[in-house]
This record gives sequence, structure tokens and C-alpha cells, in this order.
Amino acid sequence: MSTRRVPTRAWVGLVLLVGLGLASWLAARVFPEALASTCPLGTDPTHPDRTVCELAFGGLWVSLAVGLMAGALSTALGLGVAMGARAAGGAVEHQVLRAVDAVFALPDVLVVMVLQLAGQSMLDAGHAGGLGPFGLMVVSLALVGWAGPARMFRNRLATLEGQEFIAASRALGAGRWHLLRVHLWPALRPFVLAVFLSRLPTAILAESTVSFFGIARMEPMSLGRYLGTSYAALIYEGGARVVLPAWGLLVLLVLGASLASQALGAGTRRA
Amino acid sequence: MSPALVRLGRQLVLVPLVALASYFLMAALPLTTDDDAKRQVAPEVLASYRRDLGLGQPLGFLRPWVKLFRGERLGTSAQGVTGDELLWKLSGSVGVGLVALVLALGWALAFALLRARWRRGRLAVLGDALPAVAFGTPVFIPALLLAPAVVERGHLLPELSAALVISVWPGIFLGTLVADALDTELSRDYVRTALGKGLSPHSVLWRHVLPNVLPALLDAVGPVATALLAGSFAAERVFGLPYFGQLYVLAVLQKQVAVVVVATTVFASLLVAVGLGVELVRLWVDPRAREART
Repeated sequence: MSTRRVPTRAWVGLVLLVGLGLASWLAARVFPEALASTCPLGTDPTHPDRTVCELAFGGLWVSLAVGLMAGALSTALGLGVAMGARAAGGAVEHQVLRAVDAVFALPDVLVVMVLQLAGQSMLDAGHAGGLGPFGLMVVSLALVGWAGPARMFRNRLATLEGQEFIAASRALGAGRWHLLRVHLWPALRPFVLAVFLSRLPTAILAESTVSFFGIARMEPMSLGRYLGTSYAALIYEGGARVVLPAWGLLVLLVLGASLASQALGAGTRRA
Repeated sequence: MSPALVRLGRQLVLVPLVALASYFLMAALPLTTDDDAKRQVAPEVLASYRRDLGLGQPLGFLRPWVKLFRGERLGTSAQGVTGDELLWKLSGSVGVGLVALVLALGWALAFALLRARWRRGRLAVLGDALPAVAFGTPVFIPALLLAPAVVERGHLLPELSAALVISVWPGIFLGTLVADALDTELSRDYVRTALGKGLSPHSVLWRHVLPNVLPALLDAVGPVATALLAGSFAAERVFGLPYFGQLYVLAVLQKQVAVVVVATTVFASLLVAVGLGVELVRLWVDPRAREART
């Protein structure tokens, strides 16, 4: 049996993601004084006791963690919906797909803002079920982002189920659970990873935008929230020194996730 | 019933669904001025919340709309909005969005042509890197970089600057689509046949290839409209434009929930209107869509 090679571009993307996330976490949580003492960009205009490096590079892992968790949750939700729809079949599947398309048509940022408003009111009243601002953002992003994965998984499952080896297995008496565990899941697994990675940039960017508006109250601050808390100062004092590093970090995060997702996605299409 | 009408019907159903979903989500919020809550809302916000949403009243979900049509103010007197103001703000955002759409088409054409030129040279990597950079750039980043020149020094018109910053990603996205669709169409047999029969490359492109590229472009109009309108939220906030995006963000921040319900529904209606427009244009330009209709 031959082992399937992971494409080089996928490795580059994954190393970029993991490397940036790990370096940011270590710098912010384990060696904060290193960033404070060696930052060439100086102090932040609205937080004079903190350097730009501490706030920008230190906020990267928060954005990445939100993206990873929201991406994982929305992928899991999408997979569950797709499997449920395929298992039900017929009119139920048709109606589920219509609902999926309706949710998919809604703009991410707007819906996340509404969900944050609702969630924060519940949080303030003590009805949030133990979720803090971080969990609230993850759940909001997942509730917005499950529709795309659900559509993709449903289509992929329909393609796989139409193949001859599945028909042969059915003819030999395989049950639904056996088909899923032995045939469908191994074929679906790389695709699930690719879809999860493709959700990552969308989740990170949506979180950054909503946090920039000052609607999310996450602590420690994500990249978007950091720029949002400083934006009035950036407008009047000229913010390239603050904005450019944060922009570069966001682009690198998105680039890493996109590279890995596209390379893995292309691999699964060839397979 | 024709597939096109079915698609139109499905889009129209979205508007009341969004209106009801956003109303009942907002009506269920546990807003309070009680001391035991960690964060209280101001008593006037709570009063407008109960009054505007018609809580506990029969057909209370119609209350925000009734108030708007009567010309009454939704939300608190300081931060609320009337129907006329809402329309004015919406027209401002749509105007910025339309200018951004024109700019995005310009970016798209430029990027598609540059990518076609770069493909054969050393700059091919730029054709792949530019979409990644554009996708990884939230609208507020270029807006912040441009803000000192626009807001502080007044060198650029804020509306034009907002249109400029929100047009970049949709432009690159459209450009990528056009470039890919052009590649696919130019490699087809009918292009070779037309060239072989003596038609000029210019005629082949304009008379045969571009009409086949147009449906791919129409598919992208929905996501692009969403991106332009959602992008306007950040641009309006940074440049201080008092339009729909700014209204929406402030309504969420200040818990003006009736304004949120109405603005969310208006936003969804706008996207549905764009979808309807796209379907009509598709019926006009795409013979396959017309055949599916009959």
C-alpha cells in the first residue's frame, strides 16, 4: 500500500501557521519581556506602557486560536448537518440544503455582530452558560460559518456514495455505520482537513473586523481588537508604524491557511 | 413553474425570515437596569427597547415597521433613527458601494490583463500572491493607512476613499474569476475554429469569448455585493461617514435593538434585490437560463 504524500505547499502553509502561532504564544505568555525590550517599533500611542510588538505579535495567537476553534466547530457542525441530510435523503435533504443556502447567503460580519450583541447581553445577565467573550466569539463565528462546509461535505458524500466500491459494499450487505466507518470516513478525512483550513482565514478576518468595531470584548486582545482600541489615535497620529506590522501578520496567517487548504484540497480532488 | 421563478421566490422568502429571526432574537435579550446585573443598560435604552419592539403586545413584531412608516423615531432620541434618515443613510452607503463597484471592475480588468501577461514571465508568482494578500487584508487596514490623509489633513474625499478601500478585494476576486474563465474559454475548440476561419482575435474575443465569460461574472455579483456592503461598515467607521454602516455599528454598540432589527432586514432586502437583478440580467444575457425557463 502506498502512502499518499502531503504536498509541499501544504507543509509550507502548516509550518507557517503553527510557527507563527507558537512563536506569538511563547512571546506573549512565556517571554513577554523579550518583546518589550527589543521592539524597534516603539510604544503604542494609546497604551504607552506596552510596545507595538507586544500588542501586535502578542495578539496574533489570540486571533489564530479563535480562528482554529471557530473553524473546527463550524466544520464539525457542517459535517454533522451534511451527514444528517444524506442519511435522511429525499425531501428532508432538499429542505436542509435550502436552509444551508439561505444561511450561506447571509453576510458573515453582520450576523456575527448581531450574535455578539445577543450573546453579550446574555453574558451580562449571567445567562451565557459559562461562555466568556472568547467562547462567545467562537460560537458566533461557528454559527455563521457552518453552511459552506455543510454544502461541500454533502456534495462530497453524494459523489463518494455514487462510486462503485460503495455499491459493491452495499451489495455485500454492509450496513450504514460500516460504510461510514470503513469506506466513507477514510475517503472524506483529507477533505475535512482541507475544508477546516479553508474556514480558518474567513473566521480570522470576520473576528478581526467585528473586534475592530469594538463589539467583542476579548482579553487578551486579538489583532483586530488591538487596532480597534487604537483606531482614533491611528487616524490623527498616522498609524503606519502600528498598522503595517498587524497587516503583515494577518496576511501571513491567511496565506498559511490558504496554502495548506488549497494544496490539500487539490490533493483530495485528484484522489 | 420555471426554475428562475423558483429561485426568485426562494430569495424573496429570505426577507421576512430575516425580519422575524432578528426580531425574536432581539426580543429575547435579557436587557436590564437591575443592580445585580454586571452591566446595566441605561433606563432610556431599556424604555425604547420595550416600546419599539412592542414586547408583550399582539403583533408586536410589526411595531418597529409601523413606527418607521409613521415617521416616528426608533431607539433613543439621541441615537435613534427615523424612516427618512434610514433611507438617506442607506442611499449614502449604496452610492459608495456603486462607486466601489465601478472601481472594482477597473481593478478586475487590470488584474486579469496583468495576470495574463505575468503568466509567461518571472512575475507569475505575483499573480498568485496578490489575491492572497488582498484576501488577507480586512477593509479596515487600508482604511486606517489612508485615514490620516483623509480625516486629519482632508486631502481626499472620504466617500471616494471609502469606495477605493472597499473595492480592492472584490476587484481582485473578480479579476481572478475573469482571468480563469478567459483561460478556459480561449482554449476551447470554437475559438480555434473561429480564428481558423479568418476572424480577427479581437472579434473572437468580443463576439464569442466574452459572452461566454459573462455568466461566470454574474455568479460572482452576489458575493461581491455582500463584500462591498459589509466592507462599507469598516470604511464608514474609520472615515467617519454617517451612513448605513456607521448606523449599524453604533446601533449594535449602543444596544439600539429595534434599529438593529430594521437595519438587518433592510440589509437582507438589499442583497435580495441584488440577487433579483442578477437573475434578470442572467435571463437577458445567457441563452441557457432562458431555455431552462421555457
